[in-house]
Amino acid sequence: MRKFLLPIILTLLFVFESTFVELFSGKFIASGWIVTPRFLIAAIIFVAIYVGEKQGVFYGLVFGLLFDIVYTEVLGIYLFLFPVIAFLVAKLMTFLHNHVVISSMMTIIGIAVLEVVVYQINFLIRFTTIDFTLFLTNRLFPTIILNIAFLIIFAFPLKKQFEKYAIELRNK
Amino acid sequence: MIIIHTKLANKINEQKIEVCKVPQFFRNKRLIILLVSIIILVALIGFSLRDREKLTMPEQLIKDTTGFIQNAISKPANYVAGFFGNLQDLQNTYIENKELKSRLDDVTRLEIEVQELTDENKRLSEVLEKKDDYRKFNPLQATVIARTPDQWQEQLTIDRGSIHGVEKDMAVISAQGLIGKVKNSQQFTSTVQLLSTSDSKNRISVSVLGGDKEVYGMLEGYDSKKEMLLLKSVRHEDKIKKGQNVITSGLGGIFPEGLQIGKITEVFPDQYGLTQAAYVEPFADFYAIKHVMVVKREVSDEILKEMLEEEEE
Repeated sequence: MRKFLLPIILTLLFVFESTFVELFSGKFIASGWIVTPRFLIAAIIFVAIYVGEKQGVFYGLVFGLLFDIVYTEVLGIYLFLFPVIAFLVAKLMTFLHNHVVISSMMTIIGIAVLEVVVYQINFLIRFTTIDFTLFLTNRLFPTIILNIAFLIIFAFPLKKQFEKYAIELRNK
Repeated sequence: MIIIHTKLANKINEQKIEVCKVPQFFRNKRLIILLVSIIILVALIGFSLRDREKLTMPEQLIKDTTGFIQNAISKPANYVAGFFGNLQDLQNTYIENKELKSRLDDVTRLEIEVQELTDENKRLSEVLEKKDDYRKFNPLQATVIARTPDQWQEQLTIDRGSIHGVEKDMAVISAQGLIGKVKNSQQFTSTVQLLSTSDSKNRISVSVLGGDKEVYGMLEGYDSKKEMLLLKSVRHEDKIKKGQNVITSGLGGIFPEGLQIGKITEVFPDQYGLTQAAYVEPFADFYAIKHVMVVKREVSDEILKEMLEEEEE
């Protein structure tokens, strides 16, 4: 049964991101904040750290493609960024102490990099015209707060499940 | 002889090393993968930014399949959120009730007035023998099941697709007014592009109400800083001012006439001073959208038929 653990968790997060935005996007707009849930990439980075780089890159590719097709309809952006960021963070983690707090912090840095690159690409293809300072205050800052909150709640359970999964994978 | 030989051998060796140095750089497998994937990235973005008539088959299939899962998760989530929303509403009921009662008298008066006007309109239209009414449309109810999480492009997914009669470029309205148009439709789901997307291809022909004569313009883009729609291409001699209402003109082709859009808040000369432009505050709330209506103009098919018949003659 544990075999389907990763796909199920990631699919749920993938769908939950859009439901979250649908339900809560209006709540923050009065303050000019636009929060973006990045729960999926956080989980993919955790897969890359605790299960293995190969799995992380694989799920990054699959869900990046899904994200592009289903949500943005611009192919390529997330297909490229999800696996690359998951791989880089996992590589960095090999030099660092493998504690859940440190991996959460690295995940937040990964999310920040993702946000900045996605903004730059959207700016290039003219889907947005806002300048960088406005992006920092209205988007990046609130997004990071939201995702820190998510990681505070879910980092430890995710780590535990993924480590169990990794042990089972090795025993086979 | 021997010395020459060794010199030659040395030279050849040096050359070999130099030749080897170049492939060393390319032998780095990861670098090649990165380069190739950047090329693929650019190619894919270019491919999907083209003005696509339709999404490819696999894309449609994947969107429909995820649509089912989204439907299954979004409905209960909305139900729970709705329950808490109802609790909040209950707290405000007393004050709201008071206010609504005071408005009720006005409503009856307005109702009678509207009734009179529609009757008169009907009569006059019959006198003029006006057949094609751009105002008539068939609304199709739909529920929002997802919204693009990264919010760079403001897009919704609704649970009605081409099997229910949704087509590309149809107008989408909420109870308050126009919110966007259908970007793509699959079999069971469709994507709606909201007016708040800053897409340069997103243009809507509109008219401004309340002046002496009819004033036409184009709705082009959205100012995300001010949260206002941009009305452009209004002729310089036409007079528009703050407070006038903006509706769809029905001249664009697929949109029906008379869908309310917003109110003008500021008028300013256009970039080159040849035309006027204005900020329009939308009536509709682009957030917290749950139920929408996809609008199909009734008359467009008839006009097409007539045109075809004329061509045949």
